[in-house]
Amino acid sequence: MKLYIKLVSASIRSRMQYKMNFIFSMVSYGVIMMIDFVLLAAILNRFGQIKGWNIYEVGILYAISSISLSLYRTLAPELHEFEKYIIEGEFDSLLIRPVSPLVLLLSKNLDLSRIGGILQGILILCLSLYGLSQEQELIYIAAYLPVILVCGCAISYSLALFTATLAFWTQRIKDFQTFTLYAPFNAANYPMNIYPGWLKMIFFTVIPVAFINYVPMLYLLQKGGSLYFLLLPIFVAALFFYVSLKFWNYGIQFYHSTGT
Amino acid sequence: MIEAHQLRKCFKIYKSKKGTLGSMLSLFSGEYEEKNAVDSISFKINEGEFVGYIGPNGAGKSTTIKMLSGILHPTSGKVTVLGIDPQKHRKKLAQRIGIVFGQRTQLWWDLPVKDSFEILKHMYKIEDRAYQKFLKHYDDLLDIGQFLHTPVRKLSLGQRMRADLAAAMIHNPPVLFLDEPTIGLDIVAKHKIRDFLQEMNKAEKKTVILTTHDMDDIEQLCSRVIVINQGRKILDGTLEKLRTHIGLPSILTVTYEYLPKPNELEGIERAECTGRKCTIVYDRSKISSPVLLREISKWGTPLDIQMTEPDIEEVIQNIY
Repeated sequence: MKLYIKLVSASIRSRMQYKMNFIFSMVSYGVIMMIDFVLLAAILNRFGQIKGWNIYEVGILYAISSISLSLYRTLAPELHEFEKYIIEGEFDSLLIRPVSPLVLLLSKNLDLSRIGGILQGILILCLSLYGLSQEQELIYIAAYLPVILVCGCAISYSLALFTATLAFWTQRIKDFQTFTLYAPFNAANYPMNIYPGWLKMIFFTVIPVAFINYVPMLYLLQKGGSLYFLLLPIFVAALFFYVSLKFWNYGIQFYHSTGT
Repeated sequence: MIEAHQLRKCFKIYKSKKGTLGSMLSLFSGEYEEKNAVDSISFKINEGEFVGYIGPNGAGKSTTIKMLSGILHPTSGKVTVLGIDPQKHRKKLAQRIGIVFGQRTQLWWDLPVKDSFEILKHMYKIEDRAYQKFLKHYDDLLDIGQFLHTPVRKLSLGQRMRADLAAAMIHNPPVLFLDEPTIGLDIVAKHKIRDFLQEMNKAEKKTVILTTHDMDDIEQLCSRVIVINQGRKILDGTLEKLRTHIGLPSILTVTYEYLPKPNELEGIERAECTGRKCTIVYDRSKISSPVLLREISKWGTPLDIQMTEPDIEEVIQNIY
C-alpha cells in the first residue's frame, strides 16, 4: 500500500510536468460529460416510463453504471490502455520488478480527468434520489450504495482485466473493449427487462453487468427481488475478479515481447 | 549459478492476408509459421564469470535474456538462475538480479533521477542506511551525483545509461543481465561504462551476462563468449577461441589521387578497386594497421583513408 501511494504520487508528479495538457484534458472531458448529461436528460424526459421503471429509477441505474465505469477509468487507465504495453513491448519493464505487474499498472497512472464522469454520475444520482424521495424511504438505498459502487467498480475492473489478458494473444484489444466494456455498460444504463432473452442471458453470466445495478435495485426499489439480491453483486464481483486474475496469470506466459 | 538446458522459444507468426477482409479472415484461418527464436541452447555460467552473449540482430540474444529473467516463458527446456526457476518465482528472482535494457530506460521518464531511485528503494524494500551507502558508492563509480536532480528525459544518453546502471544495482544483486548497455554511446561514455562493469565484476564479484554489438566491449570485458546465430549456439569459449575462429577482419577504404596498382599482401583478404577507390578487407591479427598503411601508400598517393571497425554481426553471418 505504501508502495502504491509512492508510485501514484510519482505518476501525478510526472503528470504535472505538463500542466497545460492536464488542465486542457480535464476541461475538455468535463464539456463532453455535460453534453452527455443533457442528452440523457432529454431521453429520460421523453420516455417517462420504461417497463415499469420511472425516470428517477432509471436515473439511479444510469448513475451507478456510469460511476462504476468512471471509477475504473480513473483508477486503472493503464490497464485500459494495456495494448500499448504489448505492442511496444513495454510490459518487459513491469516484469523485471519484484512486484506484481498488476500493482505496477494500477499505480502507474491515475486518470484524474475521468473524475468528471464520477461527478456527473453523482449529480444524476442525487437528482434521482431527490425525485424518488417523494414516494418512498431511501435510507436503505443510500446506505447500501457504497457497497454497490465498490462491487460495480470491481466488476468493471475484472471485465477490463479479462479483456486486457486477451492482448497476450491478439496484441490489440481496442475492438474487444467495445464488446466487453462500452456496450455492456451502455446497456446497463437501462433496466435489464427491456432486453431480449439472449442478451439478458449474456448480461447475467459472461458479462455480468446486470449485477452492478439492476439486481440490487430490484430489491431496493421493491420490484420483486429477494433480500439475497443484495449479496449477489458481492459474490459475483469476487468470483469474476478471481476468474479474471487466474486468466491473467495464465495469459502472462504467452507474452511475446518485442524485438529490440 | 545460471543454467540453461535445451532452452527453446518458439514464436508463432500468423500469416495475415491483404486488406481488411483478409486480415479478418486470417483471425480464423489459424495459418501460421513457427519460428524458433531460440533453439536448444544450453550453457552453464559460474559465479564471477563475465560472459559476452553475441550474435547478429534477431539471433535470439534478447529472447534468451528475457527467458533468464522470467519475462518470457520458454516453449521447452529448463532454466535456473541462482537456483531459482525464473518463470515460477519471477518476483523472488527479480529481487536478486539486475537488468538493464540499453534501448529502453527503466527509470521514470518525467521524474528526477533521485525520485526514481526512491521509488525503487521502496519497491525492493531497501533500508535507509543501505540506500545512503548506495548513493555514495555509485556517485563515486558513475558520477551520478551531478544529475541526481535532473528529470530523466533531460539527461544525455550517456548519463541516462549510467543512471540506469545504478538503478539496476540498487538492491545489490549478485547477477547482472545487460542487454546492449553501450548502444549509441560515444567513446568517452563507453569507457566509463566499461570501467564500471569491470569494477562490478572484479571487485564486487558479480556475475554478468552482456549482449553487445561492440567488439571492443567484448575484448575488454568478457572472459568468455557465447555466440549464437538464428537461435542456435555456435560457439562457446574464451575470447581467444573466438579470435581463432573469426579472426579480426577490418575494412580500410582508400581513395587515391591516380589509379592505384594493388599488390598481393599477406594479411589482406580482399582488395577491390573501382576506379580510384579501393576497399581492403584485412585481418588485424595478421597485419597491423600501420604496416598496412605503409604498404598501401606504395600503390599510389592516397587522398583519403577511412577505417571501419569490424562489425561483429556481419563477420558472424559471413562465417556461419
